[in-house]
Amino acid sequence: MIASDMFTRFARRMASTQGVPYMVIAETPNPIRDLSPDALRKRAENMMPAIHDGLTLPPAEIARRTKEIAEQQIHPRGIVRSGTPV
Amino acid sequence: MGEAYVEVTAENPADLMLAAYERAYDQGWTDGFPIIPATDSRVDEFVKASGRAADDVIGILPPRKGRVTIEVIAVNAVMAGCRAEYMPVIIAALEGLLDPGFPLELMQMTTNPMTPLLFINGPIRKELDINSGTACLGPGWRANSTIGRAIRLLLINGGSALPGVFSKVSFGSPLRYSFICGENEEENPWEPFHVGLGFKREDSTVTVFKASNYCNISGGEGVGPVETLRHIATHMPPMYGGGDGALLLLGVNHARSLHDAGLSKRDIQQAIWEFARVPVENYAKSFVETERGAGRGDERMVWRTRSPDEVFLAVGGGAGPQDLYISAGAPKTRLIER
Repeated sequence: MIASDMFTRFARRMASTQGVPYMVIAETPNPIRDLSPDALRKRAENMMPAIHDGLTLPPAEIARRTKEIAEQQIHPRGIVRSGTPV
Repeated sequence: MGEAYVEVTAENPADLMLAAYERAYDQGWTDGFPIIPATDSRVDEFVKASGRAADDVIGILPPRKGRVTIEVIAVNAVMAGCRAEYMPVIIAALEGLLDPGFPLELMQMTTNPMTPLLFINGPIRKELDINSGTACLGPGWRANSTIGRAIRLLLINGGSALPGVFSKVSFGSPLRYSFICGENEEENPWEPFHVGLGFKREDSTVTVFKASNYCNISGGEGVGPVETLRHIATHMPPMYGGGDGALLLLGVNHARSLHDAGLSKRDIQQAIWEFARVPVENYAKSFVETERGAGRGDERMVWRTRSPDEVFLAVGGGAGPQDLYISAGAPKTRLIER
């Protein structure tokens, strides 16, 4: 998955609702909407290693690498609702 | 979410109510307001009023795929302060929200404050005292306040639309507490909204809209139907994310004067479609391109709706120089079965 950093935790949460909690997320700083094509290309190039991992690593290895962070991102401990996105 | 059954004790009824509220709030079961405790006997009463089995599944609520049974609906309806006889309205509304063509999953998660608007037609308005006249959007009427609230609690508890966790809504909206009214059929000089959809006048229906903003059009400016409608349409500019329709609730005074001037509902839809347009120079080029690509614009203007059909027209509220525009689309209508 590719997401801007503001949406990373939310993206994993959404992926978990579709049965895919463990995945590599290639992230880039938000916002991207107003970037020029050149700046956007640079951002994309920086994400390439993560994208490569996501496309080539075995699912078990991805699960191993992301298990802990996924747990905290999907069910943040002690949080019911939050005025600051968690 | 915490355990399904909890025991709350206190030394007196007032403290018990407060303890139940605090407990529900801590668990994330509320919209922030106090709740009525969903005891077994109250839930049973609501299930019975639905005429269906407690474990009947109405659907799966996104994003967390919560199974919504009649019992789940009953629990949330009790907490919202509903009467048991409201159950068929809530069930029908939920069925509309779960229509595959309704963007509920988007609504549950997006940064946009869109929310369901429930629009009620037919005799059930009178039977349940669902307000469609003066102050129809509240506050003051129990059915309006609590049926809409029950839907919100179901979206929170059934779908886990918890703010900042699964819901990314930036500002939220007061419309998310309860957004429901009936059509003022008694003072509507044309056919009621649901009859226009093919239902019988004696049917009771709920139409759910995807609604976002809300604009009261005040003042009653304009002499004659063209000026009146042009004035109304100036409050309905094209807007980002507004592509799926516009609901115009005509106040009873304008409805009467436009009708007396010989206009049909179709004439009004046509006029609003033609008047609710803004020059392309007022917008970002990318927005103009998007809207034009979606069939909502030409070389000179961006249009509010693609066609007159996307101007949804109904009559509501009480007397006064007021009309109401709600950016509302994707309507899904369901028969309320009792």
